[in-house]
Amino acid sequence: MVSHEDVLGIARLCKLYIADDELDSMTKVMDDIIRFADTINNASEEGAEFDNINNLSNAFREDEVVPSYDREEILKNANDVDEGHFLVRKRV
Amino acid sequence: MAEGKIKHYSDMLQKKEISCTELTEAFLSNIESANKDLNAYVTVTADTALNTAKAVDKKLSLGEMLAPLEGIPMTLKDNISTKGIPTTCCSKILEGYTPIFNATVWEILSANNAVLLGKTNMDEFAMGSSCETSCFGGATNPHNINHVAGGSSGGVASAVGGNIAVYGLGSDTGGSIRQPASFCGIVGLKPSYGAVSRFGLIAYASSLDQIGPVTSTVEDAAIVYDAISAYDKMDSTSQGRRGEPTALSIKNDIKGMKIGIAREYLDGVRDDVKLSIEKACEVYKSLGAEIVYFNLPALKYALPVYYILACAEASSNLGRYDGIRYGYRTSSYKDVNEMICKTRSEGFGDEVKRRILLGTYVLSAGYYDAYYKKAQNLRGSILNAFKDAFKNCDVILAPTVPMTAFEKGNAISDPIETYLTDICTVPVNIAGLPGISIPCGCDANGLPIGMQLIGNTFCESTILNAAWQYENAVGSEVFKESPYGVKI
Repeated sequence: MVSHEDVLGIARLCKLYIADDELDSMTKVMDDIIRFADTINNASEEGAEFDNINNLSNAFREDEVVPSYDREEILKNANDVDEGHFLVRKRV
Repeated sequence: MAEGKIKHYSDMLQKKEISCTELTEAFLSNIESANKDLNAYVTVTADTALNTAKAVDKKLSLGEMLAPLEGIPMTLKDNISTKGIPTTCCSKILEGYTPIFNATVWEILSANNAVLLGKTNMDEFAMGSSCETSCFGGATNPHNINHVAGGSSGGVASAVGGNIAVYGLGSDTGGSIRQPASFCGIVGLKPSYGAVSRFGLIAYASSLDQIGPVTSTVEDAAIVYDAISAYDKMDSTSQGRRGEPTALSIKNDIKGMKIGIAREYLDGVRDDVKLSIEKACEVYKSLGAEIVYFNLPALKYALPVYYILACAEASSNLGRYDGIRYGYRTSSYKDVNEMICKTRSEGFGDEVKRRILLGTYVLSAGYYDAYYKKAQNLRGSILNAFKDAFKNCDVILAPTVPMTAFEKGNAISDPIETYLTDICTVPVNIAGLPGISIPCGCDANGLPIGMQLIGNTFCESTILNAAWQYENAVGSEVFKESPYGVKI
């Protein structure tokens, strides 16, 4: 059974606010989904394990410096920039 | 109907029966009128399209031969990065974001002078089955605009089904190409995991996502797949296409081909859909194929496994949206933490928040073993079950969706009910297999029914061939033209 506290605790972890008037409905939906997800606990795992899809192996490459994206171009998408940096409000 | 639209338009261009500019203008003018009903496009790129058209016309005037996709008007789902063109994932949180690089698939197609008409609608971050979680409102079905186009690639399917794009690229994480293709009466191919580069595809669930073609015919799907399936060093999971181009082998005889039916795929499927699948079996028998029935009990757990894994990966992938480097940022906040929390809470829609919360829950201490780890292990069981099945058959035939397109507004009322509509499509993503949806009939209200052909890993040629043979055999019997769009 998913509780209000569970939802608020998880929301803190993933940096989401749940408004007071959303809490009941979000808790109910989460509880429904978790009950649905719980059905996997009826399954036998015997012999089952998963590494990756299609036998992929690590894609190693030489560590070479190659041209990258232009700093000014990257910063054009930011809300607040200063002297070539992303700007965020002072924390302390 | 087996004649592909891509070849049709390409021949017209090459024979100078129409100029590329005229063809492009015809599509742009039809988008202007039809999009009011279909809401398929969220961005129209008329200037880009006409500039490309001019370049193609110049080549034609010099007597040069066109490549198969050169000059063909098309569209991209709005989660495929396009340099200099807004890419929103239909989410408020990507408001104002314009990529500074191209997705590899668009790099390939634009180098081939593909005429980009615009970016198409989708469920927010590809999370949904009706296109209605889009911040722009959902795309509608070109066969009945009171019904949804499906999701998440609803806009691409609506545009292709509504003849306002010749073809498009969508992405498929749990059925997002095949399900809207089924609802809109067209063809949707989800390639094997790794066949098409994901570089520049804005991630939902990286181990399940795959880009693929949405087209009017099977031949078109083969042509587009051949163009985009190439190894890409920018995607560490890329493998590219194996073997010859699929377009070369789609017209091969299928006598003796073993078509498997897993009984579990037919559980809970609506009667008219089941009947269409049975009729398709008869068509295949008449073509000399053999139908073999078998059980695939592991499918029972595919849907919860999918939602646990997809949401876990989404919660991690969507952690990057913080309002600092791109996209929406909240207007008032006290400190950095509040800025990030408010930005995310205001920027994401309800379905995205639900999936981030679920994903965080199944990955959190105390629940990881019971949900995430167990689901990963069951993913292995499902994969092995498919491998065993392919020892006894060449392709698996199944419904794409257990029903036809639902009425607008019905999908978002109950998330679990909506998740259940993905039951036939998610196993393919879990196992990394290729799957194609093609039309196989209509319901009593004239809405299309789709069927799915599933192949073994990297056996795109086999499913495209089986799909083409069916399409060729039934002709216009199961295909329905939408009243919208360009018909030249």
